[in-house]
This record gives sequence, C-alpha cells and structure tokens, in this order.
Amino acid sequence: MMKTFSIGGIHPNDNKISKDCKIEVLPVPSKVFISVAQHLGAPATPVVKPGDQVKVGQVIAEPAGFISAYVHSSVSGTVKSVGPRQDLAGNNMTHIEIDVDGDEWVEGVDLTDTLVTAIPEDNKAILEKIKMCGVVGLGGATFPAHVKLCPPPGKVAECLILNGAECEPYLTSDNRIMLEKSKEIVVGAAIMKQVLGGCKTVIGIEENKPEAIKAMSAAVAELQKVGKSYEGISVMALKKKYPQGGEKQLIDAVMGRQVKSMGLPIDVGAVVQNVATSLAVYEAVQKNIPLITNVLTVTGNCLPMDKQHNYKFRIGMPLSYIAEYAGGVPEQAAKIISGGPMMGKAIANLDATTVKGSSSLLYLTAEQTVRGEESPCIRCGRCADACPMGLEPFLLQKYARHNMMDELEENAVQDCIECGCCLYSCPANIPLLDVIRIAKGDVIRIIRTRK
Amino acid sequence: MTLSILTIAILTVLGAALAVVLYFVAEKFKVEEDPRIDDVEKELPGANCGGCGQAGCRAFAQACVESEDLGKCFCPVGGNDVMQKVAAVLGREVAAKEPQVAVVRCNGTCENRPRINEYGGYQSCRVKAALYSGDTACPFGCLGCGDCVSVCQFGAIAMDPATGLPVVDEEKCTACGACVKACPKNVIELRNKGRRNMRVYVSCVNKDKGAAARKACKAACIGCSKCAKVCPFEAITVENNLAYIDYTKCKLCKKCVAECPTGAIHAVNFPVIAPKPAPAPAAEVEKPKTSEE
Repeated sequence: MMKTFSIGGIHPNDNKISKDCKIEVLPVPSKVFISVAQHLGAPATPVVKPGDQVKVGQVIAEPAGFISAYVHSSVSGTVKSVGPRQDLAGNNMTHIEIDVDGDEWVEGVDLTDTLVTAIPEDNKAILEKIKMCGVVGLGGATFPAHVKLCPPPGKVAECLILNGAECEPYLTSDNRIMLEKSKEIVVGAAIMKQVLGGCKTVIGIEENKPEAIKAMSAAVAELQKVGKSYEGISVMALKKKYPQGGEKQLIDAVMGRQVKSMGLPIDVGAVVQNVATSLAVYEAVQKNIPLITNVLTVTGNCLPMDKQHNYKFRIGMPLSYIAEYAGGVPEQAAKIISGGPMMGKAIANLDATTVKGSSSLLYLTAEQTVRGEESPCIRCGRCADACPMGLEPFLLQKYARHNMMDELEENAVQDCIECGCCLYSCPANIPLLDVIRIAKGDVIRIIRTRK
Repeated sequence: MTLSILTIAILTVLGAALAVVLYFVAEKFKVEEDPRIDDVEKELPGANCGGCGQAGCRAFAQACVESEDLGKCFCPVGGNDVMQKVAAVLGREVAAKEPQVAVVRCNGTCENRPRINEYGGYQSCRVKAALYSGDTACPFGCLGCGDCVSVCQFGAIAMDPATGLPVVDEEKCTACGACVKACPKNVIELRNKGRRNMRVYVSCVNKDKGAAARKACKAACIGCSKCAKVCPFEAITVENNLAYIDYTKCKLCKKCVAECPTGAIHAVNFPVIAPKPAPAPAAEVEKPKTSEE
C-alpha cells in the first residue's frame, strides 16, 4: 500500500504531456536582465555598476539580511544598467541588465560531466559554499537553502526528505532531472544529509512517474556501493494526490507526523528539500557552479507534441525570448502561467525574465481559464473535504469578507498553504482562496505585531 | 381561589426580596463612569465609522474626556461644529481645523491608460493587487475594482463607468479616511477642501521615469519639474519622478496647471470663465474631478 498524506487533497488530471521531452539547453540571448529578488526574503543589494565587466558565475548582488541570497551573473559581458524593470507580476523591481559578449566563466568552475562522488568532510565549508553559490529552494518558495540546513539549536533533524513529488499538473522539469541527473541528485542528497548530521534520507516520488522512481532507485543502489556516505538513502513511491509536494503534506506522507499550527518542519525532525535544490547543491559543492541555471517546462494542451519542451535556462532570460525560441505563443493561449496551474502565477508581462525558481511557461486556453459565475454557498462541504490542512474554507471566506480577524485566527486561517484545493472543488465558483489569502496575510501580520 | 392568592402572595414576597438583593448587588458592583462621556457622545454623529482612529463614537467620547489636549481628538465626520460642541460640554477650548476631502489622484481613464491584459478574477482591489500590478501598464494607478466604494459608509464615492475611476461626492465626503486605508495603491489622499472648495493637485501617483510613465498613461506625471520651477510659492516638490503639491502652501494661482505638458495637474471647482471678482455663486461650482482646461 503506497503512502500519501492523511487529510484532504484532490486529484486533478496530471497532464504531464512533456514528460518524455529531453532537457534541451537554451542558447544565451544577446541581453539578460537579472532580478535581485529571486528568493524569499530581502532583495539582494547590487554590487556592480554600469560599465563593469562580468564573467559567468560572478557575484553581482549580495544578500541584504539573514534570509536573503547571493545573485550571480548568468552570462559574461558588460553591465549596461542597474535599475527598475517590471517583473512578471508587473511590479517594479531592481534588475541588472547585462550585454552578452562571449561565454567566459569565472575561475575554479568544473564544467565537465564527470560525477564527483567524494564528499568534502568539513560541514562548515559545505554550508558556506551553498550560501556563496546562492542556492535557494527550487520547489516554489525559493527559501535560501543554507538557512534550512542549519537547524536552530536544540532541534535535531531525524529525516531529510527530498521532494520529487511534482504534484502540480503539467510540470515535468523535476521528472526530467530525476531521469537525466539521478546520480547528481543522490550525491546532493548525501551532502545535505551529512550537513544535517547523517540522518535518514527519503526521496519521495509520486507513482505517476514510474521511470523517475526506477532511475532514482538505480542511482541510489549504485552509489551505495561507492561509499558509506550513501547509506540510509531510500526512494519511496507515493500515491498520487495534490498537494503532495507541500512541505507539511510530504512530511505527513513520508513520516506520518503532523507539523503543528505555525510550526516548522524541524519541530517534528524533518527537513524538506526539492530534488532540483539537491542538484543545485551538488553543482555548488562538487563543481563550484553557482545557481544560475534551472529547468523549465514549456507546455500546454494547445501545443502540438513537437512544441512541448523542457529547457535548461539561465537566469535573466526574457520569457518572450524563451517563448519565441520554443516556436512562439500559440494562438489559442488566453493565459500564460509561470509555475503550475494550481499555485503558479499568471504572467502579466512576457518581457519579464526568468528567475532561479522559474519552473514553467504554461499556455492555457480561454475555456480552461474562464471562471464561472459565483453563486451562493450551499454548505456542501467539498472545500472542507479537499483542504489538506483541515480548515473550513467556506467559513473562512465569510469571516474574511467581514474582516472578522478574531474568528479567522481561531479557525487557523494562518495555516492555509494557498494550494487552491478549495477553489478547485467549489461547485459554486466562490473565490475562496482569493479572499482567504488576503485574510491570512492580515492575521499573520496581527500575530507578528503581538509578539 | 386560595391557591391563586397564595401564588400571588409568594411571588410578590419573592419579587420584593430579590429586588432588595439586586439593589445591594448593583450598589456593590457599580461601575463609576464619568457622566460627561454620555454628554459628549450625544453630540457626536453616531456613525461609528472609526475615522477618528477610535473604535467607535463612544470610545472617541471617552478619549475626549480623558485627553488633556482636545487638539489631538478630531471627529472628521462632525467637523469643527461638533468639536466646538464637544469643547463646550467639557468646558474647554478647541482650535478649528481645516475641513478636508478625499481626492482621487489618478486620471488613468480607459482612454488615457489603455488596458494591456484582462483580469478575470475576483473583483476586489486588494485581491487584484496581491496577484499583480493591474490590467494597465501603470503599476501605480487605480485598479478600478471599487474597494473604496464598498468601504464608504456615507455613499460619498462611486465608480464612474465611463472612466473606470472612482468619483468623490464632495458634499457627502466626511474625510473619515476609510477609502484612503482601503486603497492598496494609495491613490486616494485627504486634502484640505480649500477656499470655496477650489483645489489644485497632481492627479497621478506614478513614480516611473518620464518615458515609461508616459507610455503607460497619457495623463501621467512625467516628473519634468516644470511645475516646480513655475510655482511662485514653493508649494511643489518633485520626488521619484513625481510632483506633489503641498496644499498648505498652494495659493491657487494655477500657473502649474498651464505649464503641465501632460495635463496631470488638475484644478477643480474654479469658476468656469473668470468673471468679475464677485463671490462665486453655487451655480458656478463645477462638478468634481473635471479638469479646468
């Protein structure tokens, strides 16, 4: 019997159309715009000025706080400007514009394909390297990885969970890297495991990716012959259910433990990292390559099979350039989404550029996106059944619309993970998540000011 | 018969005994409250809008009674009249404040500011602002979903379907500030009503550089500073590519209005044709939010 999380969840059609499309490397455009806010937390501070020459992998912005990350140049060339530019939501954010000239990397980077299995012994040096290479969580939240790998004093990591669930429909980038870079991911996992004090490591993969499960199991088996550092790593197949890739849901599925309200995974002895983050950790520690590339899926039902792609991109590439390279925006596309259809964001501005956490360019047609007319709530309870956090969205949305902050807090609106299951399951087309998300922000602000 | 007499007698005695008990309990647990709070509350409008910063009218009355300086308390709905009455009740003095009105500082009408994408989500400015910058190229301007309209307790603000922008009814607006707080883009500002309701203000909050602002909206402030140079009273400052007119310094000379290349500076309620300097009759007061030119 395969495991999954215990409450709620939905089963949308997974639409993994591009799962067999091999990763292709995108050529470097003539110009890139690199955002300084590619991670959760304070935007980084630019350390280059117009006219500076930069190489691939050179630091161009430094962290501006504890929860922040380094940003590196993804190309070599001349810095043209440092100034505001609209991000994909249309809001102004500082971007560093670089005119590309050649492809010269900084020194000390190993660009060969050889697998380095020997893990350095000094954990402090490893953490420093992860931090210096600007590695952030690539599962969606882009939380700086080194912060997550240093549990607060008194807390012990019992289990490192690698998230290979990829529960969002359409996305196939994690599936592809698990197939094509399986060994690298396992080495990355072993590095993180060592940093966390040699805890048990589980790679959780949903059953709809049987090839990935096979490839990862084979990689683990092979590497376990190499050395001791690979002991205690295992692959776990999980029953398909959205949102399995949610941190708290994955912990529940793998370990059978629940994180309490407003708690952190480390409270129950878990650390969760995405498989893509694991790959980035491998590249940072073993190859000295900073996080300047990631894999993105170009997909959609309106695209023919030969136009579905998984691309390895560099940060700062304009989305319009990628769309153009992939064969142009299809005519039927009414909405373009960055990220999955459940939690991704609609792109307001195709001139925006890729960031570390970019995972897809998803084209949806008008029929797929249009919302039905809202009708009154009939208290059918489908949203409460679907909520993976055990909340009552129908109640929360009423409270939210009347600004009843005390009631919202009592009913744990702050635990909402914004997965969208309620909105997906509502037969009355009530904009549940839209209003709950706003209320959640307000309530968390109130809780913080109280402290 | 005896039964009913007995019942009445028992209930009467019981009632009388409990009344005595209740009297002593009430005396013992009596809450001392300043009777002036009631007196002050009677003078207040009773809208409980929260515009004064207190939870409601009674909380405001209490704050007035407890405060040492009445100047810190102000009921925007009742205005100076009510504050004078409150001061009289408390036997204190209060200085008159300039009456204010909510001003919408965006002129991104459908014509000036073309839509570049479509929003199909929940019609609320806060929800929309949390998702993205809006359906036009201007990331600063009015989102047009009417959060300001739904929070106004006085029916003083309404969306104009022709422009897609909110319009403030100056007669009804009490300057309680609810719309100012509700607007996620900080487009609405409370400004002094001004002499005979005449006001000059920059109807734009776009902080982008001139070219980008102009591209997004024909009526945007491009931060050219022409108005600041022409102003004889130093009332205009330009910061982050955006001009701002200090209403306490503006003397309504309108030189800036003529100078502005994009028509971003609005002059409202000025007499339509400059007549002989007679006191402006009510008929000559223009509709709010229409530009003079």
